[in-house]
Amino acid sequence: MEEIRPFEFKQCVNLIKSTGLKARNLRELRERTAVVSGESIFHHTYQYFLKGRVLEYTNDFAHWAGESLEERALSEHLSNVDPYAFKNIEDLRMELLNVIDGYLKNFPEPREAMPGDEFYFNETVTLTSPLGIKAKNLAEFLIAIKYVDAAAIYYHFYEARVRLGVDDFSKWLEDSLDKKEVAERIRGIDPFMHSTEEIRKHIYEGIEEEVRTEMEAVGL
Amino acid sequence: MISQYSGISPKGDLILLERLGEKLKGKSFLHINSTRAGGGVAEILQRMVPILVELGIDARWEVIEGDERFFDVTKKIHNAVQGNPEKITEDMWRHHYEINKKNAERINLDADAVLIHDPQPSPLIEFRKRGRWIWRCHIDVSHPVKEVCDYLLRYCRRYDAAVFSVAKFARAMGVDEFIIPPSIDPVSEKNREMSPDEINKTLDRFQIPADRPMLLQVSRFDRFKDPIGVIKAYRMVKKYNDCILVLAGSPATDDPEGEAVLKEVREFAADDPDIHILLLPPFSDRDINALQRAATIVIQKSLKEGFGLTVSEAMWKGKPVIGGAAGGIPLQIIHGATGFLVHSVEGLAFRIRQFLNNPEMVQRMGENGREHVRNNFLITRQIRDYLSVWYYLENKRALIEL
Repeated sequence: MEEIRPFEFKQCVNLIKSTGLKARNLRELRERTAVVSGESIFHHTYQYFLKGRVLEYTNDFAHWAGESLEERALSEHLSNVDPYAFKNIEDLRMELLNVIDGYLKNFPEPREAMPGDEFYFNETVTLTSPLGIKAKNLAEFLIAIKYVDAAAIYYHFYEARVRLGVDDFSKWLEDSLDKKEVAERIRGIDPFMHSTEEIRKHIYEGIEEEVRTEMEAVGL
Repeated sequence: MISQYSGISPKGDLILLERLGEKLKGKSFLHINSTRAGGGVAEILQRMVPILVELGIDARWEVIEGDERFFDVTKKIHNAVQGNPEKITEDMWRHHYEINKKNAERINLDADAVLIHDPQPSPLIEFRKRGRWIWRCHIDVSHPVKEVCDYLLRYCRRYDAAVFSVAKFARAMGVDEFIIPPSIDPVSEKNREMSPDEINKTLDRFQIPADRPMLLQVSRFDRFKDPIGVIKAYRMVKKYNDCILVLAGSPATDDPEGEAVLKEVREFAADDPDIHILLLPPFSDRDINALQRAATIVIQKSLKEGFGLTVSEAMWKGKPVIGGAAGGIPLQIIHGATGFLVHSVEGLAFRIRQFLNNPEMVQRMGENGREHVRNNFLITRQIRDYLSVWYYLENKRALIEL
């Protein structure tokens, strides 16, 4: 019998690095977004969820447009940009620029941000490390998912999509344990509509139900 | 020592610290600042250096020495960098350099990594022997006096990297610039757990009643902390909800305006028996801890702020915080999740009333705040970040697997 590949929990943390670029208004945001590094675009979109922010927005551009420029419609348009829908960072950058251009066409003179409230373009250095926790079956996975740090949930649920196009959890459940149904349920969790802790809760509940069903099937 | 943090700091941070410790084992890490005691930098270094040593790193902490004139000059530089109009003459800069030169002869600067804290010892880069040199700026440099900043940048540009507390403090310097927020120490006297008895002792000593909700602001009596605005908001709230207000702060001895502000605050509070103005001596950490734990809501209505770590201190004690949207406060308060950011006296009064009428919200936001601090503002995260910067400089890769 083929041995099951255990799920190895890892985490990632990000060290914020400044690019030195900032924008005081939407025109400057457009100008700098066009030239800033791909790493910076990546940070302000994909890594938004690592910051534990309020879920009114889905990326830093939308957050700044809503909170600092108070351009609500623009922030709604920007929040609708799904970074996972693009093949690469350059396509994502183009979409952000399109949204900003569309808005500037209709509202050519948006307000300035207050001093100190400018948009600061950052990048990150990412450090990953194993947590020393491996799960060989559903029950072990269930316990681990309850107690690992939020940085591990982030790594396997969000960061994995950039690496693999899918989260690590559902991939392992399907590939190694042949649990298609629960894998599908995890894939059904909308990454934009939950905090990392809520993601943890949904995954836990899905796995717990599966473990219960398994136990009932063997008469426990 | 590091075991003190297990069960408190995120497990992942402790694991990462161990890994970084293994990678940097036996290497030397020198910290240099300008004071052994007093101030946040010395406080953090006192705790951080023993932890680094425990991780297997040969960590040292040295303090530069100088005459009265040197510290007068560095105080002026400090103020100018923070935006106060100051003129630093060529002669003053020369003295700044000469004193650093003398220190370079006295201090062994040979290390694998050197972290220089703040502008006072920044010219030491001129005497670099080897290793990675990092300049750590703890102060608000968002609106500096240009000439002073430009002069300092001559030194700072020669470092391998610079570290700022908040993104808006960073400037395009042409070196790697990292954003590392400051942190609180959860096992220190100011933040450790306290028994109800200990808390009550402090309240009794200051004659603060515990029978009504308590609003608290801990800060120096400084116009930028808007204590008058806090009293105005309390008065607006008082029409609807019974509560008491405690304004606690150390006397600002180096601030000539401190005395005048305190007088204004006392006059404005008039004879309201429910306003308690406490003048705490320096090193009142235990009392501050007790007051923060006794409070129902903590306020930090700053108009201008460096980082405002009192916000994290209060959130660590499970208190919801209402803060002015200044300096590092918006990094700590996630509006609507761990507290509220306000922009006016009226906004503050409204949020206080919202909390006083919704104990469930007070509890929920307090709990969120504690988790936010656990994940972002504890000393273990700050050490992790310093070691990460050092390790990055050794490897120069955007993705590092440990």
